[in-house]
Amino acid sequence: MTEQRAESEIERARRVADERALVDTARRGSPAAFEALYRNHVGHVYGLCLRMTANRATAEDCTQEAFIQAWRSLPAFEGRAAFGTWLHRIAVNAVLAQGRRRREQVGADVPADEAAEALPDPSASNDGAVLDLEAAIACLPAGARQVLVLVGVYGHSHEEAAALLGIAVGTCKSQLHRARRLLGARLQTPEMAS
Amino acid sequence: MTTDDRQELPGSLDAALERLPRSIEPGRDLWPAIEAQLEPRAARPLKRWLWPAAAAMLLVVASSLVTASLLRRESAPVARVAPVAQELRYATASFGPDQQLGPAYDAARQELAQSLAQRIGRLPPQARRQLERNLVELQRASAEINAALELKPGDPLLEELLLNAYQDELAVLASVQQLTAGNGSGTMIDATRMQL
Repeated sequence: MTEQRAESEIERARRVADERALVDTARRGSPAAFEALYRNHVGHVYGLCLRMTANRATAEDCTQEAFIQAWRSLPAFEGRAAFGTWLHRIAVNAVLAQGRRRREQVGADVPADEAAEALPDPSASNDGAVLDLEAAIACLPAGARQVLVLVGVYGHSHEEAAALLGIAVGTCKSQLHRARRLLGARLQTPEMAS
Repeated sequence: MTTDDRQELPGSLDAALERLPRSIEPGRDLWPAIEAQLEPRAARPLKRWLWPAAAAMLLVVASSLVTASLLRRESAPVARVAPVAQELRYATASFGPDQQLGPAYDAARQELAQSLAQRIGRLPPQARRQLERNLVELQRASAEINAALELKPGDPLLEELLLNAYQDELAVLASVQQLTAGNGSGTMIDATRMQL
């Protein structure tokens, strides 16, 4: 068991080292290394963008924008945080910037998007409960949805989520409460709607 | 997420959210559209025809450092030299089975390594251990990438990774040369100056 854990640690350290080599090579201007980083991280970035925007096409745009921005900013990346953490922040910013542009174009708050457009490809999951939950999250108002995604799905603290979203911690907490109440009602589970 | 944050989520919802996969693959490959918008940077990837030039550049750097080392050695008092760790041996530098860097490059690299052997004893133990670890790690990476190149000859990413590994190795060697320059009397060097 101890040997297995040691091997697992070694494997994890090697993956980190390999990623550092890829980041270093991409920072020196290699699109091939950057493509390898893209392949490693696109699932996480797209998943985050899809849940935050509740729209597949918008999520694709944000994912592309996040990676393009990451390429531009890579020379300034100092490696203090993991590359994935750094990219996660860029993706959140891409979603927020896209939301601002969209509001400016529409001139009003964005209505809740169609749930079907927000769902992952149904072929990717045969778990009905998961799809129900994804659909319920997608139907939340944007502010509540973004807080729920960051805190509930991606494990940020309120302080981290508030900083990422540029809102007060109190606002973050109230949005999470609202998201929880709406989700409970939509999923028709009274214990959740308490 | 902190304990306080979790307490705000009902247990069953909390568990359900945690079970959601963090990664979702997009329905189509987004890379071509991204790649089309990547602005080239100053440090362009090295093309195959640039390798001899890169090797020549490394050779010039290595030769200069060895020459400087020899000139200094003539006037500096002889320092006690600690034995070099067994791991600091150099495999032949190559870019996969079809791209040997040539005997001139290897000779210069060996000279630099010998110069390192004479200087490494002047480093503080902590800096020396760090140096040895870094060199062993870089050489392990080079060997692994070379092995991968045998399976995928000409793979541009592997080639770039390998060239970077060689460049990093040379940078480490050069940093030792610079840090120990003028320390012929055996003065110990501040470990905090070692950017290894």
